This record gives sequence, C-alpha cells and structure tokens, in this order.
Amino acid sequence: MENIGIVLALLGAAFAVLLAGAGSAVGVGRAGEAAAGVVTEDPSKFGKVLILQLLPGTQGIYGLLIGFLCLSQIGVIGGSFVELSAVKGALYFLACLPTAIVGYWSALKQSRAAVASIGLIAKRPNQLGKAILFPAMVETYAIFALLISILSIFGITSLPV
Amino acid sequence: MAVVSMKRISIYGLKRDRKAILEMLQRAGAVEVCSEEDGDAAEEKKDNFFGKMDVSSSKAVFQKGMRDIEEALQILNRYEPEKTAFLGFLKGRKEIGTEEYYAFADKWEEVYRWAGRIQALERETTEARAEIRRLETSAEALSPWAYLDVPMRFKGTRSTAAFVGSLPGEHTALELETTLLERFPELAVTVEIVSATKEMTCLFALCPKSQGETMESAFRELGASRPSNPSKIPPAEKEMELRGRIEKLEEETRRIEEEIASFADRREDLKYAMDYLSMRLEKYEVLGKLMQSKRVFVLEGYVPASKAAELASRICTRYSAEAEIFEPEESEDVPVLLHNNVFAEPVEGVLESFSMPGKGEIDPSPVMAVFYYIFFGMMLSDAAYGIIMAVICAVCLRKFKNMEDSMRKSLRMFFFCGISTTFWGFMYGSFFGDVVSVFSKTFLGTEYVLPALWFTPIDEPMRMLMFSLLFGVIHLFAGLFLSGVQLWRQKRYKDVLYDVVFWYLLVGGLIFLLMSTDMFANIAQMEKLGGPVGTIASIAAAIGAIGILFTGGRESRNPVKRLLKGAYSLYNVTGYLGDILSYSRLLALGLATGVIAEVINSMAVMGGGGVVGLVVFTLVFLVGHTINIGINLLGAYVHTNRLQFVEFFGKFFEGGGRKFSPFGVHTKYFKIREDK
Repeated sequence: MENIGIVLALLGAAFAVLLAGAGSAVGVGRAGEAAAGVVTEDPSKFGKVLILQLLPGTQGIYGLLIGFLCLSQIGVIGGSFVELSAVKGALYFLACLPTAIVGYWSALKQSRAAVASIGLIAKRPNQLGKAILFPAMVETYAIFALLISILSIFGITSLPV
Repeated sequence: MAVVSMKRISIYGLKRDRKAILEMLQRAGAVEVCSEEDGDAAEEKKDNFFGKMDVSSSKAVFQKGMRDIEEALQILNRYEPEKTAFLGFLKGRKEIGTEEYYAFADKWEEVYRWAGRIQALERETTEARAEIRRLETSAEALSPWAYLDVPMRFKGTRSTAAFVGSLPGEHTALELETTLLERFPELAVTVEIVSATKEMTCLFALCPKSQGETMESAFRELGASRPSNPSKIPPAEKEMELRGRIEKLEEETRRIEEEIASFADRREDLKYAMDYLSMRLEKYEVLGKLMQSKRVFVLEGYVPASKAAELASRICTRYSAEAEIFEPEESEDVPVLLHNNVFAEPVEGVLESFSMPGKGEIDPSPVMAVFYYIFFGMMLSDAAYGIIMAVICAVCLRKFKNMEDSMRKSLRMFFFCGISTTFWGFMYGSFFGDVVSVFSKTFLGTEYVLPALWFTPIDEPMRMLMFSLLFGVIHLFAGLFLSGVQLWRQKRYKDVLYDVVFWYLLVGGLIFLLMSTDMFANIAQMEKLGGPVGTIASIAAAIGAIGILFTGGRESRNPVKRLLKGAYSLYNVTGYLGDILSYSRLLALGLATGVIAEVINSMAVMGGGGVVGLVVFTLVFLVGHTINIGINLLGAYVHTNRLQFVEFFGKFFEGGGRKFSPFGVHTKYFKIREDK
C-alpha cells in the first residue's frame, strides 16, 4: 500500500476526464439533436446552431485539461516520476473533484439552455448574441470550478506533505 | 463617433414628380420613411384632401413574382447546380450600373414568363414520375403471369371453360388436381401452373364447357380468385406495352429536364428580375405610407443630420418640390444609426446583436472595442494563433474588396482580435503553446525557450488571477463611468453623485481595504498595502455606503421605506463581488489554450526524434492545433461577448433602440452602382 498516493492522484485525473467528458458528450449530443432539427428546416442556420451545439462541449475540455495537469504533476507523463505520499495523492484527488462534478452537472444543464437557445434561433435568427448568452451563463460555474482545480493542483506540488 | 443625430424631414412635392423623387430617394438610401398612422399630425391632415394609396394589390403581385422566381431558381439549382467558387461567399454581390437597371424594366415580364415555364416544366416532370411509378407497379404485378399465353380474362373456347386465377401458397398441378378429384369426383379438369412462389400460385385450368360453373365454385372453395385487373391481351404482351410507355415517359422527363437545364444561362436574368421586384416592392411599401391628395404628396421621414441639408437642396433644385428639415420631438421614436471609426466600427455588430442604444443612451462601441480586443486576446493568448487569425482576415479583406459590409465588419473585428491575441501571446511567451522548446529539445538537441515578455501564467497563476480581476475592475468602472456620462448628459447631476460617485467610493474603498489586509496579501502573494491606505479606504467606503443607504431608495417618499430600499441597494455590492470574480475566466480560458497546446505538443513528440518522429510530429501538430484554435476561438468569442453583455452593459446599458433602416436598395443578388 505504499503506492496509494499515486493511485489516488490518478483516480482524480480519471474522474475529472470521465465525469466532465461524459457530461459534455451527453450535452453536445442533446444540443446536436435540436440543431439537426433546425437545419432540416433551414440549412442556412447551420453556422449559428453549430456554435450553440458546441457550448456544452467545453466542460469535457476542462476535464481533459485538469486530467493532463494532474498527470504531468505526478510524473505519469513527462517521465520524471516522483514519490507521492498518500496525503498528497489524496489532495490531488480532491483537487480534481470540482472540475469533475461541476463539469458534469453544468454540461447537462448547459445543454438544456443550449437546446432552448437553438429553438430561439430557429424562430429569431438575428438574436444570436442573446441566444449564446443563456448557455454561457451556466458555463461560468464550470469555469470557477476549473479555476479552483488548477490553483489547487499547482498549490499542492509545493506543499511539504 | 457615436449615435448619429437624426433630423426629421418632410418633403412636399407634385404628384408628377413622385416617381422621380422616390427613385432618387431609394438610390440615395438615406431616408427612413415613417407613416403617421397615429398621432395628432396625422389627425390634422386626415381631411378630405389627403389620403393614403392602397398598394396591397401591387405588393401582392410583386411578392408572388418574387416567390415564383425564387422557386424557379431553386428548381434550376436542382437540375443544373450553380457553380460556387471556394470562399465565394466573401465576394459579395456583383455590381451593375443604373442604366442596366432601367433597361431591365422592359424585360422583366419576359423573364417572369421564363420562371413560369420552369415551374410548369417541373410540374410536368413530377406528374410524369408519378405515372412512371404507377406503371411500374402494374408491370410488376403482371410478371408472375408472364408465361400465360392467353389474355387474363380468357373464359374458354366453344367447347371448353377456362379459369385463370391465383391461390395463396405454393402448389403443384398434380396436387391441385388430386384435391379437386377427391372433392368433386365428377369434375374433369386439367390444371397448369403459370408460376408458383411461397406466397402465391398462379394457375390456368381447363374443363368441358358444361362443367364450367362447377369448376368456378370448386376453385372458389379452394380459395382461388381471378386477377383483379385482367388484361385483354396476353400478360407478356401487356407488360411489353407498359414497359414501352414507361420508356416513352422517361424520354419525356429527360427532355423536360434538359429544357429546364437550358435555362441555366438565364439564371442571371432571373436573379436580376428577383432584385428588380424586391426594389419595386420596397418602393410601393413607401408609396403606401405617403399622404396624397389629387396633385400633391407629402413624405415624412428621418434622415441623418449630416446628409439632411444636401438632400433637401437636391430635392428643391431638381424638382418642383419643397423639403423641410427640423428637429424630431422629444416623444418620437427616432431610429438609431451608429457611426464609428475603423477601430470601433467592427464591434457594432456585437452591440447590435445585443441591442441598439435606446433613448438617451450613448454608443458604447468605442469603449467596448478596446476591452473587447484586450479580453479576446487574453483568452486566446497564443501568438501563433493570433498571427494566423490576423493574416487570414487581412488576406481576405485585401482580396475581396467587394464583400458585404457585415462580413467586412466581422473580419475586421477578428483581425484586431488576432493582433491582440498575438500581443498577449508574446507577453505570456506562448507560441503554439511551448512548441519552440519542445521542438528544439526533441529534434535539435538543445532546448531554446521563447521567453515571456511579461510572465508565464502557468508558472504564476495567482499573479495572473490578480491581474484578471484588476482588468475586470477597470472594465466595470469604465461601465460605471459611462453611466455617469449618460446621467450627466441628461442633466441629472445629482444622480451622478448618488448612482456613480458613491459606488466608486464604496467598491473602490472596499478593494483597497481588502488589499491592505494580511489575509489578502497571503492569498495573492503580494506585498500588503501599508501606511494610511487602509484608513483612507475605509473612510471612502463608509462615505459611499452611507450615501447609498440614504439615496438608493430616493424615489420613495416614505422615509422608512426609503431607508429599507437604500439598504437593499447597498446589498447590490455583492453583485460587484460576483461581477469581479467573473473575470477570472480571463485566467481560466487563457490557461486552457496554453495547457491544451502543451498537451498537443507533448503528444506530437512522442514519436521521438528522426524522420519518423518528424512525420508524426507534423501530423499531430497540424490536426491538434487546428482543433485547439477552433475550440478556443469559440470560447474566447463567447466569453468576451458575455463579459461585455452581462458585466459591462449591466452597469449602464439597456438598449432597446430601433435600428435606422432607410428606404433604399435592398437586393439579394446584385448591387446597383450609383452613377454620379
């Protein structure tokens, strides 16, 4: 059990990628269905609805980002393996959680706002600015979570535990 | 550089000049015609002399014409797709002169007939195709009967009776004959199978004439039935005949399709007719808004102040007409037109997608442009990406001079965003992420590092966060400042103190107070502000807070209610906290670009050095960075807009203005060049 540190840290990285990625996949899929419906009626709206479809996709990228940061900090990639204490591993695990959990839920909720906005674009194509804004509001919280995850991961590295 | 000031214009002219004046105005495209449907002015004029022309029937004619031509063009595109050049959408509409336009006036009815012909041909092909399908179905139904060499309604000869019919299921002749013999021993019948499948057996049976009815009922009992639609001639012949008809119809549709395709070289004319009709439609819409008597007409409208005098003098000298220019009244719903310099103009589109400035509001584009470019650059924050963006936009802008205005505005906006991205990229030392050091380490043996001109956010995220929030505070305070400017312009000087200065004191004071605490200095890893800063800041914040407490609810008379409302508006300070923290996305998105770029780079060098490594590197590099640009461009665009719309506009801008839409030439395919 002396390697529990690295196991925990890797678990955190996997969690961030898994949950945030799964949320984004469901979200982008859901928005894509709505977008395809709109394009059936009017192919000229493709560019606009595509932007809206992609909005719930960013959480997955944040998950990837955190996952990658975590892997490179613990030396799984980059090659410089460092001995990781159990406490430190657990800390990495906790640092990944905000992005994982908030990423998952905000991607789902953002996709609902995106679907509604796609409906808005179908009826009023010139209101793209406002239509983007509603899903973007949801994303704020994913960004906050990402921020805390990033700051934590960078902070943990220099902690003397 | 702001909202263009609008004048009201009234043109009084003789009816014989009406056409000429309207056409002149349409080409000038500077007047928005308004109709006085309600209001006192309309009431005054609504006596027996003046009335409005009913233009609905002419409008309906034009609209139908446009629909028909549009449909004809779509049909044409189905049979003879229009060749569109790569990046053709940047080229803009083709220009033609006014002479061509007037020459077309005689021709359009002929062109319109072509559209009718195309539609008729399309209907013919549709019918022919339906007929072909129907014939094919009947031909298929005949195919099991192909070996029957008598007509299907054959009843027998002089001495024999025949039965032609089908039975469900697969049977053989012997089996059927045996069954019949068992059940009807007196019946002398011979059965011949025409075709047999699992679903159905087609058969031909013969017996002496006297037993015809017995045979008929015998087969009924077995469940056989005669064909529902028997032919007079043998089935094989019938099928041949049907196939012949199908072939003829196919020939016919080919001919029709060729005829439709032959209209392809007249596509331009059709498009032209479409534009011609849309211009006339617009003219008639205006015509319907005019007040007219027997010999005179009155046109009311709005015109930008800069063009008003010139337009009025042109009307007065050229025609026997009078143009009057005056200030619009306070209560009027004056349309909004923006005018900005090259730097600020591109963000007008973004502003427009939110809303045009409402009554008494200033045009925020110039201030917004500065922050827009800075924030966009901070979020995308990679020098190489910025250079790519700026170069692509610049090349397109140079190459396609004739592009539509809205397209030019967006390209220019992304050009400036690209330059800002390049700037921030070099500040942060990011060029395709860390490709310089990764590449040189793997392939050249020695590591060169592109130094950051300022600092690297990945190494010092806290420092970057502080600067992000600082930019946020500046942005918010700029918004608050614009709010003060607006109040000042409306001569609400007291409100400037209550709604702007007090907030500056409170929020600014709180920020400095925070910066002078130990806790903050620890978090931010910054030097604590010493000396009297803390005291001064707390005094400023207190003045602000007390001011807001007493003035925030000033619209209420009741002193208790007033104080409570004041306390509530003081609570809005938490809103400022949220607004400022929201700018942390500048850090988060900036880091996202850099870190993803680094992920791509480290994947790219996994192939190691050497030729193979170089090939792997090139592939991963190209694909990865293309995706990263795409994702982060979208992110930067969306979140820059959000910071403008929510945080910045929230401080001063409501919008709700109506965009100035002048009576002019709004065509789809061609641009009419004004000959001077």
